[in-house]
Amino acid sequence: MRDRLQALAEAARREIAGASELPAVEALRVRYLGKKGELSGVLGGMGKLPPEERRALGEVANTVKAELEKLLAEATQRAEDAAMEAQLQGPGLDVTLPGRAVAPGSRHPVSRTMEDIVRTFSRLGFDVAAGPEIELDYFNFEALNLPKDHPARDMQDTFYVDEPSLGHAKKADSSVLLRTHTSPVQVRYMLQRKPPIRAVMPGRVYRRDSDITHTPMFHQVEGLLVDKDVTFAELKGSLDAFVKAFFGSDTRTRFRPSFFPFTEPSAEVDISCTSCGGKGCRVCKQTGWLEVLGSGMVHPNVFTSAGYDPGEVTGYAFGMGVERIAMLRYRIDDLRMMFENDARFLEQF
Amino acid sequence: MKISVKWLGDYVALPLSVDELARKLTAAGLEIEGLERPGEGLRGVVVAQIKESVQHPNADKLSVTKIDAGGDALVQVVCGAKNYKVGDKVPLATVGTKLPNGMEIKQAALRGVDSSGMLCSSKELGLSEESSGLLILSPDLKPGTPIAEALGLDDVVLEVNITPNRPDALSHLGVAREVSVVTGAALKVPQPKLTESGTPASQSAKVRVEDSVRCPRYAARVVENVTIKPSPQWMQDRLKACGVRAINNVVDITNYVNLEFGQPLHAFDLDKLGGQEIVVRAAKKGEKLTTLDGKERTLDQEELVICDRDRPQALAGVMGGGDSEVTEKTTRLLLESANFLGSGVRRAAKRHALHTEASHRFERGADLDAVVPAIERAAQLLIELAGGTVAPGLIDIYPAEKPPRQVTLRFARVEKVLGVAVPEAEVRRILEALGFQKLAESAGQATYSVPRARVDVEREEDLLEEVARVFGYDNIPAKLPRGLASLAPEPAHSEAERRLRQAMSGAGLDEVVNYSFVAPKNLEVLGLKEQPVALLNPLSVEQSVMRTSLIPGLLENLSRSVRHQVESVCLYETGRAYFRDAEGGQGTRPAAREVNRVAGLVWGLRGGGRSWTQKDARADFYDAKGAVEAVLGALRVEGVTWSPGGPSAYHPRASAEVKLADGTVLGHVGELHPRVVKALGLPEGVFVFELDTEPLYSAARLVPEYHSLPKFPAVLRDLAVVVPVELANDSVRKVILEVGRPLVEDALVFDVYTGKPIPEGKKNLAYALRYRSAERTLTDVEVTEAHQRIISEVNQRLGAALRA
Repeated sequence: MRDRLQALAEAARREIAGASELPAVEALRVRYLGKKGELSGVLGGMGKLPPEERRALGEVANTVKAELEKLLAEATQRAEDAAMEAQLQGPGLDVTLPGRAVAPGSRHPVSRTMEDIVRTFSRLGFDVAAGPEIELDYFNFEALNLPKDHPARDMQDTFYVDEPSLGHAKKADSSVLLRTHTSPVQVRYMLQRKPPIRAVMPGRVYRRDSDITHTPMFHQVEGLLVDKDVTFAELKGSLDAFVKAFFGSDTRTRFRPSFFPFTEPSAEVDISCTSCGGKGCRVCKQTGWLEVLGSGMVHPNVFTSAGYDPGEVTGYAFGMGVERIAMLRYRIDDLRMMFENDARFLEQF
Repeated sequence: MKISVKWLGDYVALPLSVDELARKLTAAGLEIEGLERPGEGLRGVVVAQIKESVQHPNADKLSVTKIDAGGDALVQVVCGAKNYKVGDKVPLATVGTKLPNGMEIKQAALRGVDSSGMLCSSKELGLSEESSGLLILSPDLKPGTPIAEALGLDDVVLEVNITPNRPDALSHLGVAREVSVVTGAALKVPQPKLTESGTPASQSAKVRVEDSVRCPRYAARVVENVTIKPSPQWMQDRLKACGVRAINNVVDITNYVNLEFGQPLHAFDLDKLGGQEIVVRAAKKGEKLTTLDGKERTLDQEELVICDRDRPQALAGVMGGGDSEVTEKTTRLLLESANFLGSGVRRAAKRHALHTEASHRFERGADLDAVVPAIERAAQLLIELAGGTVAPGLIDIYPAEKPPRQVTLRFARVEKVLGVAVPEAEVRRILEALGFQKLAESAGQATYSVPRARVDVEREEDLLEEVARVFGYDNIPAKLPRGLASLAPEPAHSEAERRLRQAMSGAGLDEVVNYSFVAPKNLEVLGLKEQPVALLNPLSVEQSVMRTSLIPGLLENLSRSVRHQVESVCLYETGRAYFRDAEGGQGTRPAAREVNRVAGLVWGLRGGGRSWTQKDARADFYDAKGAVEAVLGALRVEGVTWSPGGPSAYHPRASAEVKLADGTVLGHVGELHPRVVKALGLPEGVFVFELDTEPLYSAARLVPEYHSLPKFPAVLRDLAVVVPVELANDSVRKVILEVGRPLVEDALVFDVYTGKPIPEGKKNLAYALRYRSAERTLTDVEVTEAHQRIISEVNQRLGAALRA
């Protein structure tokens, strides 16, 4: 019986070593170690043996069983490895084919720039406010120290609204227009609250002008800070900080006296050319400077319009054209592209 | 305005280079936008006289000339032109000159004859586009004179951007004053001296002002015996430098004095004034005037006119009339120097679409104190340059002379507003140099009298501005604003809007920004009935009404992209739609309503373009709806309902109304109606949506609430039912969820199928049901029992049949 066991083991070793595929290994396992397998067959006769012999033979049988199990496990591993190896052969994927995903949509450069400007000022503690685009002459002009027949109104060619289309006859004492700047929001905002005030007011504005460098609609961001003892020096500091945060820390600013009816003193703010750094190039027309902002100390008449006492508070205001800043930022050389919304333009942002 | 640097030198010394001067003026608020140096390219070109000219021995078309170029010896130059005679003066480009056209003049031998330079035409000098032959110069010029000087081109012209608040700087004297303030050089104001002779002016002409509000001052002089001829070259050169065309000596003098003092003048032919009379009055309705530009204009009662006894002769402060224009035959003049109220001039100029040197100044406010010096200066020039005699007596009607304005400056305010301590002595120097005269002084403050030219200075802030700009903005330090009183509130809906944009972008839609105004027909074609807000003065009919929907803009964007062979167009825009507001218009709001919206468009190949992973799949209704759902998901707006149908722009059977759980209509999504597609020439299969964002943002739940994870496993079972094709998924789902309560957690439709073997008129819907209990692990028996119940209920209620 011992010999039969040894012979069985010998045959099993040989066959297991020769089995290379999983089904063959599995068949061997069944054949040798299964319930009705050969090992069971041999051991079936063990009951007739005397106890001592039975014990001794049992040990041998266990050793053989353990060995065969181990060999079968190894063979299984080998066969699995071989199968995986076989699977890894053959033609691979074309990894250069594009992946499967919805391409994310782009942001319009103007809208993104406007959002970024607003976010930059919010770091300086500025609130955000909005106002109507269809506006009264009073808020767009008069409340901003631009009375009727003021020549400075020529600086902004205005679209007027046909009042019967609003459902009422033309009123003699006021007219309705498309706001020419975001400045009327200053007055509306001040009328709603008491100082101190810090707010930016982004939005669409309209001027009756259309050529290579003007579109009849564009965007502005207006800013307003009102408090006791606000100085021109703080205006300079705030805008300088904005410019450095937005265009880069090595950007320089230059403040030039100018005129806006709603501020006094007024300043145009130039920044060192974002294209050449100030050496002079085509973008800055060789001057080294780019005009990007209008600003100034809030005019006392504007405070009066807003119901503030100009003897009590001072403040500064500023405004900037978003398209201009976006053009500098993305090096867009044609303003009109902004509103053509050509797919080939949009997909670049 | 153009300012000649040479001319400025008449009134103030110029100790700086022109570039430095330009920088300083810009820093003080007179922005120099450009510098013209007309004579710059002409260095090396001089006046030369042709002394001798003989035929070139070896060339038929050339001559050999001997030239006096101002040197000791004559110069030999070979020349191809024929239009001169010996003795003429012409420009000579000497050896070494580089002409504006790039040609460099070298010592040369032309066909064996030496030539030391080149005689030039005006084209070669860059002075004209075309020319035939040499430029023949005035015989009065001295040989050797640089040509730039000879032609009056040795000047620098400053292009000054003068802001509307500074009419005082609309003249050479005004700019000279600024120069004197920024450089410290003294200002020399011309002091004309007149010799009067002949009949007193009051006997030759009468002047009457009927409206002294709109014409606060009117001065006149009678000048006789004038001879009309061209003005001298120097005056023509200066006018030309400033962009003013020379006409004749009289007109040129009035223009010259205007550019000098900033005071517009007008010369009438006295003999053509009916009754030799001037009346300043309001026009009569229907009165006509032919202005100097030859146009007949019908006047309005609101307009102020300068009349003779019978009729208008000039539109006050804007333009003179043709009838009394100075002509070659004119000998007697009535010279006008007046001041007109800006608002009236502005209205008249606007009404007649005129913008003149005169109206430009009066609109901004001319100097009442310049009226007399300017007329005296012009009279003096008429004596000198037109042989005139000035009749005794200046007519000066100035009935309501007001004292100059007074403004007090508290010196401490300078630091308080500017944020820098400007020394008090410097503050005083600046104001006095600008012509403000100190009237009184007390502790810490001084009161100044304001020059009448400074119409912009009314209050203390105006003086602060003067100090700031002359002291220099560069000298004011930059400081950050002081600390915050409180945190600025997060603006309403800004986070919601940010998430909406992210969701749109994630859904593959590109953001666009379209004009707010559209063509009325683009709204009509969509069947939008609401009457839009219209513009009174649109640029074109294409941009004449305010949009009541954002969709027309998107459709235009689509057309454009399709024209450019783009195969997939997915767009969105956030912005306002504009409506009239019947209840509005009260108080501080116009009668208009502006509604914030988001609109989108999906057309063409799905997923942004052709893809090997999904062959030519075209976007459909569910792509547009998916974009809307992406937004709803990003904002966690739950319970939104979709009911079939939409406004007339939408396909009636492929569109839906989108409602919040509370019934508020957000807007619509759907296929564009075939009628609209056809009318606009669009490709088929355009899907759009448009939603109001305010209610959407209000319903947003930006901070999610956490639910603890389920403790027990789910059991998944699929369910397929065959229902009539019209039956909506929502109806089936509703029954499943209702019947399956509380064990069915969710029922997700994962297949919709029509066609064989499903009978005609039916469709197969397949759902993945997820069963779960919060208390225990469900048994197979429980789930099977529930599943069977659902099947039979769906069957019974919806006439559905379970599919094997």
